[in-house]
Amino acid sequence: MEPDQPSQPGRRSVLVKLGTAAGVAALAAQGGIVLRSLVANVSYDTPSRVRLGLPGAFPDGLTLVSDARVFVSRQGKRFRVLSAVCTHLGCTVRAEASLRQDPSDPDTRKATQVFELACPCHGSRYRTDGSNLSGPAPGPLPAYRLILAPGDGQLVVDLDEEVAPDVELAVP
Amino acid sequence: MAQRRFWSLRPSTVREVADAIFANFLLHWFPARMRASSLAWLPTFWLGTVSWVLFVVLLVSGLPLMVFYIPSVEDAYRTVKDIEHAVSFGWWLRAVHRLAAHLMIISTTLHLVRVFVTGAYKNSTAAKQRREWNWVIGVAMFFATLLLSFTGYLLPWDQLAFWAVTVGTSIVSSAPVAGTVLRETLIGGREIGEATLVRFYLLHIIALPLAVAVLFGYHMWRVRKDGGLAHGDADDERAEVPAIPPVVRRIAVVTMATVLAVTVLAIFIPSPLLEPANPEVTPNPAKAPWYFLWLQEVVTDTTVRIGPVRVNGALVGGVVLPLVLAVVLTLWPWLDRSPAAVAGVSFPRERRVQNAVFLAIALAITALTVVGLMRGPSWGLWWPWESWPPVPTRF
Repeated sequence: MEPDQPSQPGRRSVLVKLGTAAGVAALAAQGGIVLRSLVANVSYDTPSRVRLGLPGAFPDGLTLVSDARVFVSRQGKRFRVLSAVCTHLGCTVRAEASLRQDPSDPDTRKATQVFELACPCHGSRYRTDGSNLSGPAPGPLPAYRLILAPGDGQLVVDLDEEVAPDVELAVP
Repeated sequence: MAQRRFWSLRPSTVREVADAIFANFLLHWFPARMRASSLAWLPTFWLGTVSWVLFVVLLVSGLPLMVFYIPSVEDAYRTVKDIEHAVSFGWWLRAVHRLAAHLMIISTTLHLVRVFVTGAYKNSTAAKQRREWNWVIGVAMFFATLLLSFTGYLLPWDQLAFWAVTVGTSIVSSAPVAGTVLRETLIGGREIGEATLVRFYLLHIIALPLAVAVLFGYHMWRVRKDGGLAHGDADDERAEVPAIPPVVRRIAVVTMATVLAVTVLAIFIPSPLLEPANPEVTPNPAKAPWYFLWLQEVVTDTTVRIGPVRVNGALVGGVVLPLVLAVVLTLWPWLDRSPAAVAGVSFPRERRVQNAVFLAIALAITALTVVGLMRGPSWGLWWPWESWPPVPTRF
């Protein structure tokens, strides 16, 4: 027995280390797997391509399509789609009309109607082309790719594809 | 006679106190002797005990609410409305739950402020104290309390809930690199919906209460191990008095006063329930819960524009600033170099500067919260006695 004695603590400590390592690995795997399971693999969110309606259904000017959270802008036969989601913290902006006096002529009683997009959450304001006017919003409202559906001729917006603000869709 | 039936213990020696503690499960929680200063009403105001009592009130009042509440987009609002209008005393149970949650945020905040200004996280000259770690546990419980309240905020699924949580979770997504993944993991997708409700519900009723309960157990065990409340001098038996029954009596008084306050307040302060959540229409104004209003003010005012470069206020005010504050707060016991003798002393000369800075930050947060409360339509400012103007025309 005596010659074996020095090797016994070595074997024991190896087994202890192996056991500890296996235990820690099992705990880490459990934790990692639980955390990974919380990251969704399947999305049940609204699809990024949304049918907005026939071009004729939109009057000239801005129209809010609330379920897609976008503004459809129409000028004659030219269409654009602008996001209605504030770039600051994701609230839905509203189109507002207000009366403004001409600052160069304060004595006049004449005022013009000004249209702006305003966020109710933190007071960011945008021009109707999406560019920033005031408030904490860090960037302009993005414009999205707009196409005509080949079958029924409806306007279809792709919320995953941003385009330059001056890109328009001309409808025949 | 009645007195004997309810409280028959009349110890006359320390030995009798110790025997009673060993023989009784409930009394076993308490030490046989405590410093007389630990039993005083001032300067602790027993805020830790108040917080724990409120937590128990929340657990108890939450149970009947869980019987009726269904965490789904279809049923959440309807079941909360039922609790409010159809269930017997449901309105009162909901008010108790809501008020206890708000009061718990106030009491834990004041407890944290008290511990800081008295330097109660400092070890005295007595051996084997680890009060700095108990401070870390306390800060963790404070954040868990805020999260408990925030996760409960979504559950009624009304406009107030939906938009407060939209704004709150959008702040998370402004964090660099992992922001979007973090937000999507928290809410279970890109939009707030069924997955969010289930996740918040489980955090609210299981994960976070369990975390607070376990941390609380450790918190109290550490207080016992560290020799009771902080005191600058070495342990001195002459400063101690028999703890039973004074500590039991005082805890009973604090418990009854807290429960009474919540019971009565719930009769007079009803819980709001707005229109059902509508992801398509943001109410004007849309506000965060009151304890996050200061953050909402900060995220509004910290958007930085240098030429063409814009840094979102949500990142500066919503992520960087709170993270720095939280880290510094947690690590403060290791940064505080004042002598051990001032542990547990209110506003000592040696900690004058750090207390002043701490209170200045606390005051700034309070001031920003008040400004947040005064926000009206389109983020304008109105006095509480002023009526809000009509919202501008929509088109």
